[in-house]
Order: sequence, then C-alpha cells, then structure tokens
Amino acid sequence: MKTLNRRDFLRTSGAAALFAATPGLAYSQVVGGGGSFTDYRALVCVFMFGGNDSYNMLIPNTNAEYAAYAASRQNLALLQSDLLPISPASTGTPDFGLHPAMGGIQGLFQDGNAALVTNVGPLIEPTTKAQYFDRSVTLPPQLFSHNDQQDQWTSLRGNVQSKTGWAGRMADLIRDGVAGQQMATNASLFGSNLFQSADETVAYVMGPNGPVQYQGFSTTPGDILNEQRLAFGRVVAAQYDTIYERGYAEVQRRAIDAADTVSMAIANAPTINTVFPQSQLGTQLQTVARLIAVRDELQMQRQIFFVATGGFDSHDDQNQNQPGLLGGISDAIAAFHAATEELQIANSVTTFTQSDFGRTLTSNGDGTDHAWAGNQLVAGGAVNGGDLYGSYPLLEIGGPEDVGGGRMIPSTSADQYAATLAKWFGIPDVDLDIVAPNLGNFAQRDLGFMIA
Amino acid sequence: MIANRTVSLLASLLLGVAGCGGGGGDSPGPPPPPPPPPPVTKAEAFQFLNQASFGATESEALEVIAIRQESWIDDQMMKPASLQLPHMLSLPPPQFMGQLHTDRVDIWFRNALWGDDQLRQRVAFALSEIMVVSQLGALQGRPFAVADYYDMLAENAFGNYRDLIEKVTLHPAMGVYLSMLGNEKPNPALNIRPDENYARELMQLFSIGLVQLNIDGTVALDGNNQPIPTYDQEIIEGFAHVFTGWTWRGSPSFGSGRVPVSSQYFPMEHWPDFHDTGEKMLLNGTVLPPGQTGEQDLAGALDNIFNHANVGPFVAIRLIQRLTTSNPSPGYVRRVAEVFNNNGAGVRGDLGAVVKAILLDPEASPSMAMEIDGKLKEPLLRLTQLFKAYNASSTSGRYPLVGSYILFGQGPLQSPSVFNFFSPFFAPPGEIRNSNLVAPELEIATEYLSTQYTNYMFFQAFGLNHTNENLDEDDIFINFQEEMDAAADINALINMVAGKLLGGEISDTLRTEIAGMLERIPETDTAIRAAEVIYFVTTSPEYAYQR
Repeated sequence: MKTLNRRDFLRTSGAAALFAATPGLAYSQVVGGGGSFTDYRALVCVFMFGGNDSYNMLIPNTNAEYAAYAASRQNLALLQSDLLPISPASTGTPDFGLHPAMGGIQGLFQDGNAALVTNVGPLIEPTTKAQYFDRSVTLPPQLFSHNDQQDQWTSLRGNVQSKTGWAGRMADLIRDGVAGQQMATNASLFGSNLFQSADETVAYVMGPNGPVQYQGFSTTPGDILNEQRLAFGRVVAAQYDTIYERGYAEVQRRAIDAADTVSMAIANAPTINTVFPQSQLGTQLQTVARLIAVRDELQMQRQIFFVATGGFDSHDDQNQNQPGLLGGISDAIAAFHAATEELQIANSVTTFTQSDFGRTLTSNGDGTDHAWAGNQLVAGGAVNGGDLYGSYPLLEIGGPEDVGGGRMIPSTSADQYAATLAKWFGIPDVDLDIVAPNLGNFAQRDLGFMIA
Repeated sequence: MIANRTVSLLASLLLGVAGCGGGGGDSPGPPPPPPPPPPVTKAEAFQFLNQASFGATESEALEVIAIRQESWIDDQMMKPASLQLPHMLSLPPPQFMGQLHTDRVDIWFRNALWGDDQLRQRVAFALSEIMVVSQLGALQGRPFAVADYYDMLAENAFGNYRDLIEKVTLHPAMGVYLSMLGNEKPNPALNIRPDENYARELMQLFSIGLVQLNIDGTVALDGNNQPIPTYDQEIIEGFAHVFTGWTWRGSPSFGSGRVPVSSQYFPMEHWPDFHDTGEKMLLNGTVLPPGQTGEQDLAGALDNIFNHANVGPFVAIRLIQRLTTSNPSPGYVRRVAEVFNNNGAGVRGDLGAVVKAILLDPEASPSMAMEIDGKLKEPLLRLTQLFKAYNASSTSGRYPLVGSYILFGQGPLQSPSVFNFFSPFFAPPGEIRNSNLVAPELEIATEYLSTQYTNYMFFQAFGLNHTNENLDEDDIFINFQEEMDAAADINALINMVAGKLLGGEISDTLRTEIAGMLERIPETDTAIRAAEVIYFVTTSPEYAYQR
C-alpha cells in the first residue's frame, strides 16, 4: 500500500496551514519520537444515527427556563414533574432534568462518572445569529443534512474535503507509540465509518459479537483444511488488474490476519458478570468490554471503538419512540460503565456520544426535523463528572440562538469536544489541531470535562 | 498510481476541474459506413448479462450471442413486469403482518432468478437502491406496501422519470418511510410546521443532489471555486408545505387510524383541509401561487424538480454506478445525461432510453479494460448469479432468505436507511481513495461481512447442495450434478465451473490453487470436488468483480 510521508499527511488532512504556522516544530515533537505509552486508555464512541433530539434528553428544570422549553415544544414537551433531576456541581441545585427513561445516566451523573456537554455542534468559527444570516462567518456546508452533518461530526472537516476522521488521525499520530499492538487502534463494531478512516492506519471492522472466523480453515499442519486456508490466502494475495478486485482482496487478507488472533483472545476472556441490555447497542458494548478485558493479551495500549445504534430520526411518533431510544442509550452506557468497574479499568475508559445533529424545537405535528446543535454525553472514571460543560441556551423560538424553527446555533464546537477527548487520550497539545483542524478558531482548547 | 482513462469523474469533481469530456468522439462530419460488427464472444455476453440481469448464465449468453445486445435489450423492454403483490395477496392471512416480509423476500428471489423480464427486474433493483424504502423500520408492519412499491418500480423502470417520481411520492410505502403520510399544514399556535423529511430526501437522494452539476456530472463551481448548493432551507420548507394533506386511501381520520389492507397498495389520497394553501418557494426562483389545490401544488413542484438541469447527470451517475461502473468518465455521464434530457424524439426523462444508453455505451464494454472500469458486485448479486447458474431451489419451492442483510449486509428492500446499503461516494483507504476514485459496494465488504459472505458460500457449496439428504424444506440448495459427473477430470471440472460463473475466463492463480486442492481430494469424492471448485470461485476477487 502506498505510504504517505508526513508532508502528504498534513496536506491531505487539511492541516497544512496550521503546521506551517508553527515553524521549527520537529517531527519527533509532534509524533512522540517513537516513544511508547506506559498505560492503557480507550475511547468508546457511541453514535446515535438519525439525529438525537437531545433537547428532550437534557431539559431545563428551573421554572422560567422550563416554561420557555414547554412553550416551544408544545405537544412534544416532557412534563416537568417527570424529569429526573440532576444538580450540576457548578450550581449545586437541581437546575436540569434528564429524560425520564435515563435513570442509568442520572446515576452515573450523581456519582461523578458522567457529564454532559451542552449545545455543541459543528462550527468552523464562533458564530452568532447575526453572523449566520449576513454570512460574515464561514459555515459548515450543507447544514441540516444527515450524511453531511455525520461527516462534519466525525471528520471535523470544516468546509474542506476530508477523507479522514478524527479517530483515524489520532491513530495515525500515535502509530509509532503502539507498534506492538496485535490489533488496530481503531476497531468498529458497526461497519465502515469516516470517523476511523485514516491515511496510514486501517480500522478493523468486526461484527457486533466480535470477529468471525473462516469456516473450513485449520492451522494443523498436514490437514487438508490447513491447505485450504493457505490456498485461499494465496488467491487473495495474488496480483489483480482492477482496483475493485484489489480492494476486495485486501479486505479478505486483513480479515484472515486478524480474525484468529482476536477471536482466540476473546475466547479466553474472563467472564464479565455485569448484565448488558439485550439490544443492538448492549451487544456491541458487551463485546467492547470483552475486548478491553483481553487488552494485555493483545498488547493494546490505545484503542478507539466505534459502536452505534439507529432510529433517532424522529420525524414521526417521537413521543412514542423516544423513551425506548434514550432509555436504550442510558441502559447500555450504564451497563458498560459498570463492566469497566468490574474489570477495574473504569479510569482508563471514556465513553462519549455523537449524533448527526440536534432537532428542531418546533414540531411537525408528531415529530421533529433536522437541526444543528445538541447535547452529548461523556461517561467514565476519568470524566470530571456530575457537571455540565458549555452554555445551555434559552429554548425559545426566535431566541438569540435560533436560526429558524428552533434550530440552535452551537455555542461550543465539535472540534473543542473532540480535542478535549484527544488530549486525554494522549495526543500532545501541539497535535490537537491535526485532530481538530478548526480548534485554533476557538479560545478554549480544553472544555475541562476530562481529568487531566 | 491508477492509470486513468482521462480525467476521472470523481477526480475532476474533487480537483474542481470542469469536465472537459475527453474521449467523446463527437466530431462533425458524416461517419464512414460501419464495418460489420465482430461476433459477440461468450465472455462479452457474460459481461453484458452481469450488468443487465441478476447474473449471467450460459443459456442466456447464447441468446445474446445470437441476437446481439441491442436486440436483447429491445426484447427485454417489451416484457411485462413479474410482480410481487399478486403472489402476496394469494397467501392465507398471516398471524401477524410482519411475517409476510418472508414471503415478500421469497417472491423477490423468484422474480429475480427466474422472471423472464431480467432487465426490468435488475433496473427495478437499481432504482430501489436510489429511491430507497426499507422493511427495516416504519414499514415492518406493511409488507404489502413494500411489495407494491417494488412492483411500481418494475413497472416504471423503462417509463418516464416524471411519472416515476410522482408514483414514488404518492406511494404509501414512501409516505410512511419518509413521513409525508399524515404531513399537515402549519399550526403556528402550537409551533407546528410541515415535516421536511420527504422534501429534503427527494431532492438530495432521488433527483438533483446537494450541489449544481455540469451536464457531465462534474460539480459546477462559482467564481470562488466553490460548489453551488442546489437548494437552501427556505426551499426545503417550500416543498415541505407542498407535501401536506396526503394520507392513506380510505383512512377514517387524517394520518392515522385503522385502514384497510388495500390502502397499502393504492396511492395516498388528498385531504384538502390539511393542505397548506400559501405560496411556496421552489427551485430556481419558482414560486407556487397561493390558493392552489394539493394536486396542483404537487404537479407544480414535481415539474419544478423534473426540469432542474441536475436531474439528467444525477440520474445518469446513479444508474451507471448501479449497472456498469463505479467511476464513469465525464464523457460517459454526459452521453447518458443527454439522452435523459432528450431521447431523440424530444422527450425528457425517458428511462428506457437512458438504460439502453448506459448498457450500450462503449465505456460499458471497453475493448481494453482499464483498472478502474467495472465495479464490485453487490453480495446479493453474487448470490443470485450463483443461484441462477446452479438452478438453486428448495423442496418447498420457496426462497425465504429473509436474513441475508444480517448474513452479509444486504437483502431485498432491507436497507438500514434511506441512504442505501452503501454510499455512492464511498472510497476505501488506500489506492482508491488516494486516487480520488470510489467503490461504493466496498462499503459493505468489511472484514466482518466479507468473512460472513465467504462462510455462507462455504455452507452453500458443501452443505446446501442437491446431494444433501437432510435438508429442511425451505433450505435453498444448488445442483452440481454435471460437475460431479465431470469430477474425475480436474481440468474439465474447473473449466465447467469457470464456464458457468466466470464466462470461461479464470485467472492462472485461481486455476492453479483449485487444481492443487482437487488433487488432494479423492477422485471418487465427486461432490466434495464439485463443492470445492464452486466455493473457491464464488469467494474469489475475480468473481466479486463485475467487468
């Protein structure tokens, strides 16, 4: 495979301008100089496909602010008496409430193991309503479109093309420090994704229950099934004339290489007693917990997992569907955190959410439409939990953050959110601008929700 | 580095090079009389049939060789659609509605494998991956709607695109899937405004896309070299207001309530009281006047989209990618888009002419294939090709393979979202992405799903075959008796399978490796020998590739 040098990498990742602005920076200062990590850390991205209506996930619980919320949301508003109150450490009073189905997150929040980042979304530079309308700032292109906003969140591409995601760029940056790992830094349990796409490293895609092994292959010398494995391996290792055959053969080669190692390690994983919900997300997070349990066998030092669930595009029947959707997220994340505590690794594992976008405060009768900013969850032992980060807008139609229909302008950027997680993961400050290319446009490089 | 034929479409898109055509060959002057065309070879017939059907077979290849590709297309376009709904309605009522999706998948396979309207079925499948509805989600309880939606695509596969988008728009399957069904006029007192879901996806995914295109599919740029959006939020809201007032046919109340089963397969009906009658901003500065009926607004809005300059190149790229190649040149896109814009008789939107232009274009069957020509076959098409070549059937006669989307990421009308199983823009890391090319089908060829597919073929070849006496009545098995009869001669056996699955062309590597395995299998184990060859061929990169 073609190997890019660092100059190529910076050019393709759109960070060349930032690199050029810091002359004299040595390669070793940026990429860690071949040093390796002495500890283990994992990031777990929970992606909520479709666009989570997160202003019904975190709701103001003070009377005036709740009244503004209720007036905006009308028939989609939750009753104030149904909210699960939470008291952010910064105020000490129950100023906010969680959706009634999110008891698991309420518990994590109260124990200091979860935080919420509020009114966050893709931005290129700080943006006010006036600037939005007179176009005096650069805006992310194709706002309110599913795939474009997913790409914005996961690639932090700003207004340039990006073929790498911020997890992919992190994996590239630390690759010299994790050379002994038996598995790729990036692992997905929910298919190919831009988030983990990189120039120099390749994410490993497994199933919700982990890797599958090839049928009809053995490794016993002399066995015909061993010959079959070797013959199959030679077929997919052959030279092919077209990019399509080469691309397909490469996937099969990677699959053969990784499946046995990882499957064997997982098969020997210690039993985890924590009970996970029987859901798509619960299954994936249970598998992640098992993979984390065998991190030493696989010599893993840094891992980024991608798990996901869908159904959040609540144009219809939102009141009927939201309890199941948000309850599902809450139960799965709470179970996963409990499993990391059981494995005594909770301080080294951070779970965080992303989603296409927030949704309109106004309704279309029985649902909501695509909007912009929203609220995100962060959980784990290394989280400065029990608090909210970022500002929470007044949920008023036509208010200072609303660009129409209750589409809120983010007051915190996805770049800041990502950079805060990346710093904890071990990316040096100087490289955070490669992970989050527009970070330099914002004053606060670290939102403070991670324990340093 | 990839040796591009000219400037590849996607490369020019990303580099911002306005399409310069290249290889168009439309210089003026009378052409010399054409020489008689050389005979169609078996390999060429296979290549063509893999583009135009659910998998080439030797008998169909003989037909193409006899009458040539163009006559085969003309003949196919005359054939009426093989339908799903009549079969569905002939079944006894199920205990619960969602169960019927298994029967829907069954009839999908029957039509795809054995319908004599192969081209129509293949184009319907392509359209179902562009104008997507899915069993997974809101339509789980509406199997008749999903079946009838597919029938509608098949019946309109060679019709006019303007009619097609109207039928798509008013089909209750789409109404449910993208929530236009039950969409009502604003109620400002309650902060209610029309649902934008269908308005947005109709434009982004079914018709014009996000940015303005040149006729050759390259992205048009403004004075600052930036793409030009095709619409903004105000226009989405305009269309969202157009699409108000539609609900189930025969519904007792607007948007909900118990409706008869037949409402699943009749177009939605209009309730004027729920339609917004204000003026509406559409594309290109068009404004619909206030006071129109729902039907008038709908006609005006669909005309507005239909006449947008993007539709030709947009539909051309999407259909070319589904049928012939992932990375068409700008010239190929332009030639097809021009046919969309005018079929030669002054008609815009003639899909039959568009399909013909796609399949008969020189780039669809290049004499010297380049490394970016062709595409990866979708796993479902790899499966149907095997099933056709080996007369796959079950004792019950059914094909209830309802879990294929779990097995290898794809099943009939089982997309995870309106964005289809894979994105038209997907580019895997490595040489494809570095060359600004795409390979959409590779998005679901992950390590996981490719292994699952390979394992399925292992079970199919070694377990689900005609020699197995312990099959369940619904197990779909292949028949390789001919291969067993030829199994004593290794070369003859390999040639036979290569003839049925690869058009007779097999790489030296694959032949050598299969021969090496066959030598280890006793000559008398004829079924194992036959299964071994089929397993190796159907899991090979060359079988996964559509030339």
